[in-house]
Amino acid sequence: MSTSNSSAAPLVEMRNICKHFGGVQAVRDVSVDLYPGEVVGILGHNGAGKSCLMRMLSGAMIPSSGDIYLDGEKIEIASPTAARQHGIETIYQNLALANHLDAPANLFLGRELKTRFGNLDDKRMFEEAKGVLQRLNPNFKNLSDPVVRMSGGQRQVIAIARAIHFNVRALIMDEPTAALGPSETEMVAELVQKLRNEGIGIFLVSHDMQDVFRLCDRVMVMNNGRNVGSHKISDVTQDDVLSLIIKGSLPSGWRPRGAAA
Amino acid sequence: MRVFGSSAARAALVGNNGLSIRADMLHRISALVTLLGLIIAFAFLNSAFLSLNNAMTILLQTAVIGLLGIGLTIVILTGGIDLSVGSVLALSGTAAGLLVKAGLPVPVGMGGGLVVGTLCGMVNGFVITRLRIAPFIATLGMMMMARGLALQLTGASPVSQLGAAFGWLGNGALFRIVETQSNGLPRMVFPGIPYPAILLLIVALAATYMLKRRQFGRHVYAVGSNEEAAHLSGVNVNHTKFAAYALSGFLAGLAGIVLMSRLVTAQPNEGVMYELDAIAAAVIGGASLMGGVGSISGTMIGAFIIGILRNGLNMAGVSAFIQQIVIGGVVIGAVYVDQLRNRR
Ligand SMILES: Nc1ncnc2c1ncn2[C@@H]1O[C@H](COP(=O)(O)OP(=O)(O)O)[C@@H](O)[C@H]1O
Ligand SMILES: [Mg+2]
Repeated sequence: MSTSNSSAAPLVEMRNICKHFGGVQAVRDVSVDLYPGEVVGILGHNGAGKSCLMRMLSGAMIPSSGDIYLDGEKIEIASPTAARQHGIETIYQNLALANHLDAPANLFLGRELKTRFGNLDDKRMFEEAKGVLQRLNPNFKNLSDPVVRMSGGQRQVIAIARAIHFNVRALIMDEPTAALGPSETEMVAELVQKLRNEGIGIFLVSHDMQDVFRLCDRVMVMNNGRNVGSHKISDVTQDDVLSLIIKGSLPSGWRPRGAAA
Repeated sequence: MRVFGSSAARAALVGNNGLSIRADMLHRISALVTLLGLIIAFAFLNSAFLSLNNAMTILLQTAVIGLLGIGLTIVILTGGIDLSVGSVLALSGTAAGLLVKAGLPVPVGMGGGLVVGTLCGMVNGFVITRLRIAPFIATLGMMMMARGLALQLTGASPVSQLGAAFGWLGNGALFRIVETQSNGLPRMVFPGIPYPAILLLIVALAATYMLKRRQFGRHVYAVGSNEEAAHLSGVNVNHTKFAAYALSGFLAGLAGIVLMSRLVTAQPNEGVMYELDAIAAAVIGGASLMGGVGSISGTMIGAFIIGILRNGLNMAGVSAFIQQIVIGGVVIGAVYVDQLRNRR
């Protein structure tokens, strides 16, 4: 675990974020930070508001209120394009792929490479896509098939490739391993560690307690739209986190693990 | 998640067979085979079917549906529909006729017709993307409004005596050879390639280029495949849809001036139900009304299947009513065969 985080300035700060849909309060006054080279696990029940919170950072949703800071400066993330221009990339829970396009077209969707004459440079996009996809999964073939015909694992790899291929600074991974088998999950875990070492900040939304404890520096638990606990991973046990997820509070008499020792 | 499993199995199956031909390719090939089958069948039924003159007639007749079909293909690819093209064709054609009648030069009048068609398409695009009205309803409304306007402007009567120049585009031909006989009357040695057919070819090539080689085309397919994913990827969904409807309107305008030029009369009643033929052409050619699937080449084959069916059945003396029945059956058959293939 990197310990130098506390001295660096936060990469992303989300301050007092609220989101409601009519009467439904999906996110209630949540604040959370992300430092460069840090992995923050976002945990909580289904419907706790994890995806909503992340979608407000990726520009897919506009907060009802609250502020977002990048490198200490307040920014407005009005669209997915705006978020990407700030180096905030997202792997969406539903992957957000265009089914009838092939892998390179999906990877470069919205950021297509063009030739001098403004034509699509499909050859270069294919070569680049092949490089990044096969680095993630050496068995990746049939790049030119429409993604509707690909396996869940292959689709996930495309969504990941799309998020890391362009200058990413903050990466949002919304349940990236939910559709994956063990070896693919391992690939994602290795990737998370590699990206962290490159100084990229990662929000990892996950249900897998083992992955969270293996990969994350901190956890933030959401319950009913609220941030009910933000802790260094070394301070809590899996039971502590489970208690936060289920009851919205730590077990009675809890003291930080580090302090207790 | 089981959905992924089954499609993975299917992908593997395709891979094992070494079949890399894509489903849409297969559809186009089967449509092409159907087209060839029709040509052979009609040639046996009537020897005049294969004549040069008849070939040119078919080209001419198919040009209008083909132009509309190209516009509809782009709209259908975005996951939308344009029911207004038949009426917009009539409004654009009559607008061009009225402008020429009012004393404007033919090219200017026809340009005016194109502007009217494009404006109708832009209104469709605005209503769909800004007012968030479903494409079916928005273009149904435009279908009624454009027809009503065409009838109102002309008092429901044809605008005729537009001069020979007005008929040039619809009746002229490239490489036409006419010789003067000994009795002084002209005789056509070679009918030439009709300008409308050349226009159709140019538009089809341009549309194919736009859809396959340009960013706009990529975004058209993306929007029709998964609108939300396209938006999250930074595609301007509204711009893409707006442009698709504007293009469809422009092409309906172009089809309108071609058709009215051929008749050398501006007919506010022309083009009724043409939108259905154009949709049928796209669907026979493999376009999916769900969006994201389809091609210009497929639609061209579809347009020719309809054109040749009409022409061949006409020559065989089959009534217009029976023709409708046959074409309706072909549309359902084409989609059914496609579904079978995709279910496999
Ligand atoms: N677009 C939306 N419109 C209305 N309600 C929504 C929308 N998106 C999410 N919600 C609601 O917000 C709450 C939080 O959802 P979500 O963030 O997806 O939860 P999680 O990702 O933690 O499972 C849920 O009650 C959900 O029904
Ligand atoms: Mg979620």
